[in-house]
Amino acid sequence: MIQKKICMVGAFATGKTSLVERFVKSIYSNIYHTTVGVKIDKKLVKFGEQELNLILWDIHGEDEFQKVRMSYLRGSSGYFLVVDGSRRYTLETAFSLQQRVEDAIGEVPFILILNKADLIDESEIDDAAMAELSQKNWTVIKGSAKTGLGVEEAFGTLAKKMLEA
Amino acid sequence: MTDSSTSDIFNGASNNNHLPTQEEDVLAALRTLLFNPEQIETSEQQTGEKNTSPNLEEDVLEQLRTLIFSPDDAQVDNVQQQSSQKNPAANPDEDVLGELRSLLVGDDYQKLTKLQERLDDPKLYAADLSQVLAEAIILRSLQDQQLAKALVPSIEEAIKVSVRKDFKILANALFPVMGPAIRKAIASALNVMMQSLNQTLNHSFSPQSFKWRLEARQTGKSFAEVVLLRTLLYRVEQVFLIHKETGLLLQHVVAKAVTTQDGDLVSAMLTAIKDFVHDSFHVHQSDTLETLHFGELTIWIEEGPQAILAGVIRGNAPQEVRAVFHDAIESIHLEQSNILHSFDGNTTPFEACRPYLEGCLLVQFEVKEPKPKNQKLIIGSVLGAILIAVGPWLFLYIRDQQRWANYLEKLNAERGIVVVSADKRHGKFFISGLRDPLAADPLMLISSANLSPAQVTSRWENYLSEAPKFVETRTKQVLQPPQSVSLKVDNNAILYATGYASAEWIAESKKLVQLIPGVNKVYLNIVDTDLRELESAKKKIENYEVHFLNGTQLLPSQDSKIQSLVKEIQKLSNSAQSINKGIRIQIVGHTDAGGSENANITLSQARAQKVLSMFVSQGLKATNFTTQGVGSREPLPDNLSKQGKIFNRRVSFKVFLTDTLNRKSDQR
Ligand SMILES: Nc1nc2c(ncn2[C@@H]2O[C@H](COP(=O)(O)OP(=O)(O)OP(=O)(O)O)[C@@H](O)[C@H]2O)c(=O)[nH]1
Ligand SMILES: [Mg+2]
Repeated sequence: MIQKKICMVGAFATGKTSLVERFVKSIYSNIYHTTVGVKIDKKLVKFGEQELNLILWDIHGEDEFQKVRMSYLRGSSGYFLVVDGSRRYTLETAFSLQQRVEDAIGEVPFILILNKADLIDESEIDDAAMAELSQKNWTVIKGSAKTGLGVEEAFGTLAKKMLEA
Repeated sequence: MTDSSTSDIFNGASNNNHLPTQEEDVLAALRTLLFNPEQIETSEQQTGEKNTSPNLEEDVLEQLRTLIFSPDDAQVDNVQQQSSQKNPAANPDEDVLGELRSLLVGDDYQKLTKLQERLDDPKLYAADLSQVLAEAIILRSLQDQQLAKALVPSIEEAIKVSVRKDFKILANALFPVMGPAIRKAIASALNVMMQSLNQTLNHSFSPQSFKWRLEARQTGKSFAEVVLLRTLLYRVEQVFLIHKETGLLLQHVVAKAVTTQDGDLVSAMLTAIKDFVHDSFHVHQSDTLETLHFGELTIWIEEGPQAILAGVIRGNAPQEVRAVFHDAIESIHLEQSNILHSFDGNTTPFEACRPYLEGCLLVQFEVKEPKPKNQKLIIGSVLGAILIAVGPWLFLYIRDQQRWANYLEKLNAERGIVVVSADKRHGKFFISGLRDPLAADPLMLISSANLSPAQVTSRWENYLSEAPKFVETRTKQVLQPPQSVSLKVDNNAILYATGYASAEWIAESKKLVQLIPGVNKVYLNIVDTDLRELESAKKKIENYEVHFLNGTQLLPSQDSKIQSLVKEIQKLSNSAQSINKGIRIQIVGHTDAGGSENANITLSQARAQKVLSMFVSQGLKATNFTTQGVGSREPLPDNLSKQGKIFNRRVSFKVFLTDTLNRKSDQR
């Protein structure tokens, strides 16, 4: 059995917990319970014969009072940078977090999720932001914990990347 | 001579068959002369030949040696000496010398040159040295300590550099060694503690302690160890082997019949908690979380360089269990260091660690001994040991227990209180019973017994006690006697009432006393106070005498006497009326003994009439009075002196109380 640790990082209330809930339990709730510390879930994914046990570390969101502890990231085989598409600054948070994570644990596969894609009208990710993103050459997936859009794809892609790494 | 011929000669030198013996002999002699001059000199001295010219010969030989063996030096000399010569390469001497060289030393010379080259080339020299270094070190170490001494500074420096570069390498290398060393040190420290515990325990005896002593002897453990073991109760329910960096679960074992949570999640969570604690409390790098408590579960964590062992324990495990954990994680690191280092998420190889984890699933049950007949005896050593631990609590417990007993005793001694049930549950006292409302307040007794009212829940039902004291108090409460009455109830429940009281009270009491519970019989000996007052008022009036001068003329001072008399009579009349009595006052006129008795009677009658008329004029009713003249028939003792005569000219009073109003009205 192969096990891999994956972390969810991002600004607060970007939908980290919701994405995990959607992926692991296929449920979604509008109610916001902020995560304190870290919450752990797991999900078994299959690639043909290959079974992979994903241990998901849903880490509390970053805000001005609380920085994400890099020690939680230790030993991660991959991570998600979760951005709330309706709040531009969460993208900046993701940029700075990516830098810190890489400094702490080195280069491991990661995917940036532009979450809350269902809120099209409120999107603050403009062309400039998209341009900045495409410059970085990162894997970016638009998703929504609410509708389930892109969720399976995001986790599947990251899992593959980790196995290839 | 060509190269091949040289090689021929070379070959020939090692094989005598191809060389003429004569030539060989000459060469050998020359070799001896050139290489072993000392030896030759010695032999020459011994033979005593050619003693005269040794110096000359030596010089020649020396020159020859230089020419043959130091060709470079010799050449330099040659160049200096034969500066006119333009072509040194074509020097025929060289060829000859070279040939001679080969003849004399053959392959030895080549070997020497090669050796020289090796010594000059650092790479080759190092390679050569490496062949013998290990052996050389061993040889030298066997000889003396010099090598070790010489190496100390370098090794110390090397360790410093290594630690500065990455302390983990050294730490990891030392881990399997240091563990046992540290444990040994701790074990010996613990031993000392056990010893001192042993000494205290040695003084206590009990059947149980003898049993344990026996066990100690049989197992070779110390007595204290056995006692601690026997009183502990624990069970290691689960053991996790966790990859330190990733927090991934490598292996998980569970004791039988234990319900578990998802090992993967617990494992990651434990790692997160560990990280959290480490980050949050700014502990030193080497300090790690060792124990976690969740309700009645304890988690012990033993950390190795790459992996963590976490055991979930129910109850109180002794430190030995930790040692078992420690051994397990150490052995796992020792045996599985390869797969630990190369771990990439594949947990399958860690199946091999299962036996170590299973070895940690330890259980210890409490011994249940059958109760000995004499319980007091076993309160020996065990209690002694426990007392140290629970002493303060026990003290409070015993103190409260004593106070409680004290309180119950007080209640039982109290009249009018009957305790029906009393017990203790969950540290609280419960009491219920009957209480005469006149009895002492049980709640007041709580605090006087030094118990806190909050500790005691009480339920009291009212009842009436027949104890004489209570009957008496109750009687007093009901009858409300005046101060002049005293009430007593004796052991036969007979009520004695004595003293003075109003007729009204007496009449009322006669009725009420029948209804008082606990009174069997009543003895009333109470004087009616109203009558008594009437009597005294009557006497007061009868003490009055109104005095006359002459005839029916009153003495001058008598007017005021009449005034106060009238008031007394009015008072008496009122109070008599209030108790349904009537009064009748007889006004009696007197004379002195002089004169005829007939005249005296008339005069005395007139004097009585005179006073009556004065009373009536003051508002008294004439019907309450009768008048009578007795002349001089009822004289005062002194009837002869002048003073006596004056006193006999008087009017006196007699008061009669009549029983009922009816009769009074009859009289009217
Ligand atoms: N419309 C919409 N709302 C979402 C989506 N995902 C999450 N939310 C809502 O956003 C809020 C925050 O979601 P969480 O998943 O708790 O966010 P989080 O990143 O875990 O927050 P912290 O733990 O505080 O850092 C909740 O009210 C969610 O219902 C989404 O895809 N679409
Ligand atoms: Mg959350």
